[in-house]
Amino acid sequence: MKHSILKKIVDLKKQKKEFAIVTDLKNSNSTVYKLDEDLDEDFIQYKDQIDSFFKSKNNGVIDGTDIFVETYIRPIKVVIVGAVHIAQYLVDFAKSLNFEITIIDPRGYFASEKRFPGINILNKWPDEAFNEIETNSNTALIALTHDPKIDDPALKYAIDKNFYYIGALGSKKTHANRCERLKEAGYSENQINSIFGPIGIKLGGKSAPEIALSIIAQLVSETYKK
Amino acid sequence: MRNSFDEKILDEANDWINANQKVVLATVIQTWGSSPRPTGSRMIINEKGDFSGSVSGGCVESAVVREAQELINDNKPFKKLEFKVSNESAWEIGLACGGEIAVYLEQFN
Repeated sequence: MKHSILKKIVDLKKQKKEFAIVTDLKNSNSTVYKLDEDLDEDFIQYKDQIDSFFKSKNNGVIDGTDIFVETYIRPIKVVIVGAVHIAQYLVDFAKSLNFEITIIDPRGYFASEKRFPGINILNKWPDEAFNEIETNSNTALIALTHDPKIDDPALKYAIDKNFYYIGALGSKKTHANRCERLKEAGYSENQINSIFGPIGIKLGGKSAPEIALSIIAQLVSETYKK
Repeated sequence: MRNSFDEKILDEANDWINANQKVVLATVIQTWGSSPRPTGSRMIINEKGDFSGSVSGGCVESAVVREAQELINDNKPFKKLEFKVSNESAWEIGLACGGEIAVYLEQFN
């Protein structure tokens, strides 16, 4: 692989672009292929097969050839509501797992750059903040404030937009009250039951990093179920 | 759904090259049977034998490092290695899990 190609790959990854690295194993020539761009002419004859690897998000050698394809997909977006202590540990786990984190918290003293260096923090109320985030059914929400004023609008947004994972921190009682409020707001039982509350898998720990671990474990598990 | 659990090996490779190191990239290009790491798993090796990342669960890395250093010393651009199930003789390089993997080594130029 040429160093110039490597530099291009590193750059595309930083920009969170989706692309494939295509390598001819006979001579180690590589190219970078983006779906919306033309494929290098040395590889053009394999375009259909490369596209199919791209669509299935798989890596491998094209049958009967010496062409290796590796696809890079965009990280899954995770929105955390509440720039609290647990969120600091979630951010650490998310880094190695390559989730793309956005934190929403209208309380400026929580949502500071100092507490979350390098993380996209929106110091706004959820309704306003979601206008600035591109979300879809491959987005996850983790609500951590257990303050209905902040969590509820975010949970409603996530249900409306069909997020694949929605979790909310709080005791069973807090969660029962939350469900009641959502019911009153007109949400169906199925919609309300799609929320993981109390959030996380049962590990037994009560400290912030342990709760963060239980949340991230549930998130990963639900990601693969989808 | 699959997340891109990216191990940032290529980013690290770029850092190593920028620090004037000679770097070999090792990539799992094919697997058969029960293999420890999936296709696309990566590892980088420099001329001193420092390495980062993995192509197996620790089973064949030492051989990959040795082959990578040879590639650098002989100034060859690439090489394909195949590892099969190890037999019971101790210390032989192979995959205890019973799988097979093909690893592609290439120098950055």
